[in-house]
Amino acid sequence: MTDVKPIIQIKNVHKSFSKLEVLKGVSLDIEKGEKVVIIGPSGSGKSTLLRCMNLLEVPTMGEVWLDNKLLTKPCKNLHPDLSVKELKEYYKQNSININKGRAEMGMVFQHFNLFNNLSVIDNMTLAPVELKLKSKEQAVSDAEKLLERIGLLDKKDVYPATLSGGQKQRIAIARALNMNPKVLLFDEPTSALDPEMVGEVLQLMKDLASEGMTMVVVTHEMGFAKEVGTRVIFIDEGIIKEENTPEEFFANPKDARLKEFLSKVL
Amino acid sequence: MLLNLSAGFFENIVTIFSSSKFMEMILEGLKCTLIVSLGATLIGVILGTLVAIVKIIPSKSKLMIIPNFICDVYVTIIRGTPMALQLFIMAFVIFAIRGFPMELTAILAFGINSGAYVSESIRAGILSVDIGQTEAGRALGLPYSKTMSKIVVPQAIKNVIPSIGNEIIALIKETSIVSMIGMYDLTLAAKIIGSGQNLATYFAPMVVVAIFYLAIVYTLTFIIKIIERRLRASDRR
Repeated sequence: MTDVKPIIQIKNVHKSFSKLEVLKGVSLDIEKGEKVVIIGPSGSGKSTLLRCMNLLEVPTMGEVWLDNKLLTKPCKNLHPDLSVKELKEYYKQNSININKGRAEMGMVFQHFNLFNNLSVIDNMTLAPVELKLKSKEQAVSDAEKLLERIGLLDKKDVYPATLSGGQKQRIAIARALNMNPKVLLFDEPTSALDPEMVGEVLQLMKDLASEGMTMVVVTHEMGFAKEVGTRVIFIDEGIIKEENTPEEFFANPKDARLKEFLSKVL
Repeated sequence: MLLNLSAGFFENIVTIFSSSKFMEMILEGLKCTLIVSLGATLIGVILGTLVAIVKIIPSKSKLMIIPNFICDVYVTIIRGTPMALQLFIMAFVIFAIRGFPMELTAILAFGINSGAYVSESIRAGILSVDIGQTEAGRALGLPYSKTMSKIVVPQAIKNVIPSIGNEIIALIKETSIVSMIGMYDLTLAAKIIGSGQNLATYFAPMVVVAIFYLAIVYTLTFIIKIIERRLRASDRR
């Protein structure tokens, strides 16, 4: 084992919803600074995989690691040499509280999910203040800087209901950034937007990418995958079918299902 | 005939309002109705909230199985049997103790009944808040309790207020059956004023008492509207 581990490690993750097995053993390492784009047909399990990374879906089997810390329960199959007692000890030494883990990775949702009962500034400061990551003053001044950056400082006291989709999504990204996350997870961030507003959100994501933010993006935006991605992953039927640099991935797809998929979407 | 009746009707209304004896009877009945309604509402809302919390908390731990089961049984039995029967059981079985205050019996009976309906209203209100709100809160690292108290419950209250208001209104009117266990409420006052020893006609006293009920319900509706308007502040578009 090397000392430097990837920021996110997915080890043989399975996820079933009652009888439906959505993920059938996915392993994936994401290094610091990487921009991993996950694509795949609907129902392939790509969103589920992303949601397994911050345990919004708890994997039925396998392990998820964040920055050398175990988020899930240790999986017996991955440690055949450990006894039950040793496994407990292993868990104690390596795990962190899930809420702590989640605070270190931001998530951006398809439907924005801004808190409807809070103003924009309260949306952005609630979690960092409640979790005592920042003082109230610090959280507000950081939030204002972020809002200024995305050009929405004048909206800081309005409620989400008054905003357009593009504005909501940019604020949702800013809300995640105000936690100073180590990695950002994007779950189809532009799929619910009017075509006109896709550009502003993608631009913000590109800016973040160029600043070195580690990103995992589930998307249907192939242009974004090509331009920003450092690695593209194709998921189908609950497993990773193909994984490559964007150049190779789009120019030279090997998997038959991927070829078919690309011929439909490109 | 109808003319005679209506002529007598207005006279009787005047008689009721000008006779201190009749007004005292009505006010005493009103007092009873208000005490039972108010007490039952309090118990109903508190009990309903507790039951809703037990039912809504994700029951991963085995400790929650028993309270969950009790709450299910409670709601099923209360909603599945008539209010009058529940009142009889309270008065003639459970609290069939000489000298036990009747008001308390009635308050408990109506409060326990109301709690079952209130709990379902609250549960529905919480479930009606988009699951995305909870997910966003949890994804930011907020614990379940904080996500509920800061994000979900404030939004649920807006959805819950109208149906709880509805429930309280129904409760106030339902208290008119307390005369069945011998309590002197607004409805019984009307019946006694209309009886042979007094006015010997029911029309006028019933209308007077109806106006009292209407006034109570109307006032309540007005208060609920004000509360609702305040809570809807974040919906401004």
